[in-house]
Amino acid sequence: MPEPIPVTVLTGFLGAGKTTLLNRILTESHGRKLAVIENEFGEVGVDNQLVISGEEELFEMNNGCICCSVRGDLIRILGRLLKRKDRLDGVLIETTGLANPAPVAQTFFTDDEMRTAFRLDAIVTVVDARHVPAHLDAGDESVKQIAFADVILLNKTDLVSPGEIQSLEGRIRGINPVAALFPTRNCDVPLAKVLDVGGFNLARAGEIDPGFLEPERPFEWAGAYTLPAGLHPLEIGHRDEANHEGHDHGDEGGAAHLHHHGNEDELDLVVLPLPEGGASAMPSDDAITAAEAEAERLYSGWETRLKDGDKAAPGPALYRLLLREGCGRFMLEIPEAGRYLVFEQCGEHPLHIGAAGANVRPGWQKDYHAAHGHDDEVGSVGIRQEGELDGKRLNDWISELLRTRGGDIYRMKGVLSVRGTDKRLVFQGVHMLFDAKFDRPWGSEKRMNTLVFIGRNLDRAGLTAAFKACLTD
Amino acid sequence: MELTKLWVAQIDDYVIDLAWSPDGALLAAASASGPIALVSSADGARAHDLPGHEGGTNVLAWGPAGGSGSTGIRQSLFASGGQDGAVKFWDAGAGQHTATAELGAGWVEQLAWGAPGPAAACGRRFALLNPDGSTRFTPWEAPKSVSALAWRPGGAGDGAPGCVAAAFFGGVRLFNSGDFSVAKEFPYGNGIQALAWSPDGKWLVSGNQDPSVHLWVPDRDEELQMSGFEGKVRHLSFDHASRWLATSGGVEVSVWDCTGDGPAGREPAMLAHEAPVTAVAFQGRHGLIATASRDGSVRLWSPERPRPLRATISLPSAATRIAWSPDDRRLAIGSDRGFVYALGCPG
Repeated sequence: MPEPIPVTVLTGFLGAGKTTLLNRILTESHGRKLAVIENEFGEVGVDNQLVISGEEELFEMNNGCICCSVRGDLIRILGRLLKRKDRLDGVLIETTGLANPAPVAQTFFTDDEMRTAFRLDAIVTVVDARHVPAHLDAGDESVKQIAFADVILLNKTDLVSPGEIQSLEGRIRGINPVAALFPTRNCDVPLAKVLDVGGFNLARAGEIDPGFLEPERPFEWAGAYTLPAGLHPLEIGHRDEANHEGHDHGDEGGAAHLHHHGNEDELDLVVLPLPEGGASAMPSDDAITAAEAEAERLYSGWETRLKDGDKAAPGPALYRLLLREGCGRFMLEIPEAGRYLVFEQCGEHPLHIGAAGANVRPGWQKDYHAAHGHDDEVGSVGIRQEGELDGKRLNDWISELLRTRGGDIYRMKGVLSVRGTDKRLVFQGVHMLFDAKFDRPWGSEKRMNTLVFIGRNLDRAGLTAAFKACLTD
Repeated sequence: MELTKLWVAQIDDYVIDLAWSPDGALLAAASASGPIALVSSADGARAHDLPGHEGGTNVLAWGPAGGSGSTGIRQSLFASGGQDGAVKFWDAGAGQHTATAELGAGWVEQLAWGAPGPAAACGRRFALLNPDGSTRFTPWEAPKSVSALAWRPGGAGDGAPGCVAAAFFGGVRLFNSGDFSVAKEFPYGNGIQALAWSPDGKWLVSGNQDPSVHLWVPDRDEELQMSGFEGKVRHLSFDHASRWLATSGGVEVSVWDCTGDGPAGREPAMLAHEAPVTAVAFQGRHGLIATASRDGSVRLWSPERPRPLRATISLPSAATRIAWSPDDRRLAIGSDRGFVYALGCPG
């Protein structure tokens, strides 16, 4: 049986730059015979390569389960592509901007012919840095495309500020902490980062950078502001619709959708001074890390309650802002001009700091994994834990989890340490489709369990507790 | 069993379809890249090379033997469907393109020529055609791509003869070819890979993606399902007596006894290959079945015998298509390297 043909899936909204990337791959892949399946009218057309346009055709099963859906058009087109004397070296599938990547991936795992003849190498998602914030706020299909990706190109970075790029990277990492993320201008990334990635390869499932498994935080958002000395208005929510041009984050676009956890009329806030960073508008990583640790400490302490009009100040204090219908107007007293980091417990509350009659925009901002879950939110849960797992308990847990929650788990991968074997158990999955095997021995490496789930409505505490229950005593 | 190697012909790419002329004098062989070769049954000599379809040819179908003066169908007319969304008609005697039916932007992968004429599907569009390339009725847009077609053989009952079945993800629709009205509708909640009628017109069978085989008795509105196949069922073939149904979804071919109430609950005869089966074909008038596999093996079987294997042929590369000549005396085999082999089979 010949080696399976690698398949790369390109997703991303119309205009993000998929066609640019596709043309680069075609022109730079000298001597390789590639076939392109495109689903939107692009400008792909390179001599001697096969370009096939088709209509996406979803095969949905009667039970309505998205995990069982496959792409009938791909089965048909790829089946026909196999009928040739000369072998193909690879296949590129460009999906429409609105496509859900799950049925594409599932096609390569459930259809017997596709599974033997092809190998899904990676889902590559191209994101338009300028337009993606609005898509993320709207929670549309672009969130899924990021969640499913093995490689993400944050493209058109020349059209946004460095601060916006950094903030976007944070938001993308919040959804998918394990994909390789590259900021690009014209999709100018080395092709080796896009092709032959092995995103669904079990042998590489263990290559998860633990650095991406960020700890959960008691706050969801932080922004760095450069402020003059004085008493500045600190406003939460949009009480005055006429006066909120240029709000800082959590763009509601007029559709009020504030979701809450705990008391919806309370918002915990910490403001910390940042050391002088020289000419750079960006705070240093060290300064951020130190401030994050300090804020985390403060969030576990006693709060000072502030009512409308009360004053907050930078320093070691946790303020509980008392809001009315999600809105409140407070004062921020800045002793000397400089940069300040504002931590917000719930990232969905619009926050404005005014100075000299206008709102100040944060020069840097970041979203964090919150310890609490939002409804309907796509994100990830990473677990990193020493110890050995009981094989049966693990099996029971994963089976039950996929049966009951498979629809919400988009991707998962990891390396596990199971009692009774000296080999690593590596696994990866898409929705309910799950693949696991024992690969190499641990050897001198520390036996460490590393798992990542990416999906919707993930219960971090529940998943972590259930995982820990699988550890041997 | 003694087989004789008659000749080998070569075309330029993967042999995607093979079809004998009704009189058995010519074999049409389509290459996946497009060209169609017409070779002489006697010695494999090239009668004509036809350009076929730009982007590739998918399927071939000959017009019926004898023809009829009133419709102008000549004995030597055949049709081909391709990646260009067209059905082309060819005069095999003259080696000339005679007409084209442009069906749309999709691929024509389904084409079947029954007694009332040719039927073809291009993506979701299903049309009944005239041999001059015109469509007989406004084509029907199926909910999903049409994945299989089969004309009902003669016999009594709804819409028969002249009834054609079109399958798509979601079911099968039977059309009366006289007025393109819907004779029957059979919902099926999965993809359908293949359709076949028993020669007596009793059974309509689908090979499915789930993977299973579904059987309908359209005249009695009965149906039954057989599941548990190893892979999606892509190949179906009935023997001439409508007794045996061969199905394949993997490295084995199951042969079911369809007498009486049908095969449900009966043990099929299992005909095994070592690699996935690529083609299954019963003889048209006799009892042998030929099966071909991706490893290049082609086997002949008599399914009713206790030891059914009669002969094995090994080709140097994957067998893609097999076709029995109308008199069952010749077996044509296509390969993925573009070779066409003709074997003689004792009568």
